[in-house]
Amino acid sequence: MYHGKSTLIGKIALWVVILIAVSWAIFPFYWAIVTSFKQPGVIMTTPSLIPWLQFTPTLANWNDEFTQRWPEISRALTNSLIVSTGATLVAITLGTMAGYGLARFRFRRWKNKDMTMWFLSQRFLPPMATAIPFFLVMKFLNLLDTQLALILVNATFTMPFAVLTLRDVFKELPKEMEESAWVDGASHFQAFFRIALPLAAPAIAAAAVICFAFSWNEFLFALILTYRNAQPITVVIAGVEHTQGVQFWFVATRLLIAILPPALLALTAQRYIVRGLTFGAVKG
Amino acid sequence: MPERSRVKYLFVLPGIIWVLCFTIFPLLYSLRLAFFHARLGKAETFIWLENFRRALFDDYRFWNSMGVTVFFVVCSVVCTVSLGLALALLFNRPLRGQRLFRALFTTPLFTAPIALGYLGLTIFHEQVGAVNTVLFALGIEHPPAWFSSIWPARIAIVLVDIWQWTPFCFLVLLAGLQSLPDEIYEAAWLDTSSSWDIFRHITLPLLTPVLFTVSILRMVEAFKMLDIPFSMTSGGPGAATQTYSFYIYLTGLRNFNAGYASALAYILLFVMLLISLSFFNRLRQLYE
Repeated sequence: MYHGKSTLIGKIALWVVILIAVSWAIFPFYWAIVTSFKQPGVIMTTPSLIPWLQFTPTLANWNDEFTQRWPEISRALTNSLIVSTGATLVAITLGTMAGYGLARFRFRRWKNKDMTMWFLSQRFLPPMATAIPFFLVMKFLNLLDTQLALILVNATFTMPFAVLTLRDVFKELPKEMEESAWVDGASHFQAFFRIALPLAAPAIAAAAVICFAFSWNEFLFALILTYRNAQPITVVIAGVEHTQGVQFWFVATRLLIAILPPALLALTAQRYIVRGLTFGAVKG
Repeated sequence: MPERSRVKYLFVLPGIIWVLCFTIFPLLYSLRLAFFHARLGKAETFIWLENFRRALFDDYRFWNSMGVTVFFVVCSVVCTVSLGLALALLFNRPLRGQRLFRALFTTPLFTAPIALGYLGLTIFHEQVGAVNTVLFALGIEHPPAWFSSIWPARIAIVLVDIWQWTPFCFLVLLAGLQSLPDEIYEAAWLDTSSSWDIFRHITLPLLTPVLFTVSILRMVEAFKMLDIPFSMTSGGPGAATQTYSFYIYLTGLRNFNAGYASALAYILLFVMLLISLSFFNRLRQLYE
């Protein structure tokens, strides 16, 4: 715990360091926003950081993005939305059930902690190790370039996260209410749906937000498994580069479009982020 | 609780079966591939351990990409953890606007790495990038051409990675610091007035488990690094920033050498296993 002895100089030094840290954190976003308002011509000729002072901001890039290029962008965004939502639904449904099962019941033959570890070990699996067989299987099933393929993949990779986080959450809920429901003749499923689920709802929502963000940001499988119709936004930004070198202005607008949804959503899950990202090893 | 009830299996089985289908079977399939000479669309021949022998003894690109990856992992883990710790110590005090800061530091974590790589491309651009703009303004006439020489390219990638992951270390370590018991500190301040002593003898030892967790998680993530080099440098110049995952990708999905790529993937899997074993032991006790 902090021992409070603050001099004026100490306070000023503290705020200077904080200011530096904050500018470091927001600078890339600032740069992306500024770049998105530059004239394409200006971008490649004169280096500049400050709007109005160094260059005249323009809406041209955004305008372009929302008119001429909109069909491509909107399709990519729709794909991202469908894939992330689908994957999140699967991961959270199965993850909530498994998390609840691991938190509330005792398994004998395959012990609870071993099952938990097994789910955890999935997060340590390098995705590259499954990429090639995934590609071959999806090709065999004729699922290449479909949203379904990406839903399956993302659900698989986010589910262990959901299981571990929600297991942790259910463990902390009081058991007594469900036990008295069992005594009153409720089935396990009734107790689960009527009592545990509503109590855990905020945590489940937070886990869903994080799963959604992971799926939205996923790139490797999206690159491998789609080539046209099902391409999500992460792959479409990647396409920007190829035509005429780096087109800074589209990079800027597009990546802002790609970055914003998960980053803003994640803010709603603040409370669970630390616990979630460390798989319950550190309580946030 | 009715111990014998079979209902409990209904809760866990769907998840387990799903993960079995979508990770274990693909893994078994690629384990088989690893022992074959298999190019997509051509006949496969069984070649025992030839793929592994070739990787370990006969493939300079394997060692190059392994070296690049280890360099990235070491830089990234050391920098993100120490910066994160410094920030966490700084913010671990009553501070106005702390919630705002924490929110601000959350956003990099949820920024798509691929998007970040492209942003990095514009930030480190030789003539009109943000970094060189600042360097020009400071009077440096020949700032580095970030992407055309080996070390600047590597450093640029490490910097972007540090930017993305320092907030993670910060948030976790801050949570760790805030969970340390106040009483110990109150007692300690009676004995000494040096905050360095307090940090060295109390904070650091108490925080070790959390530091360990953060480092392992960072290490594992860093070993998978692909998106940022992919978008920022395409592994270049030459293969100077070609990470191991990138190399597997090129081998298996650009050159369609599925057998060799699977063998490479299994070597990575083995390395990850070694790293995570100690972490697993710690978590196993925690999951009791």
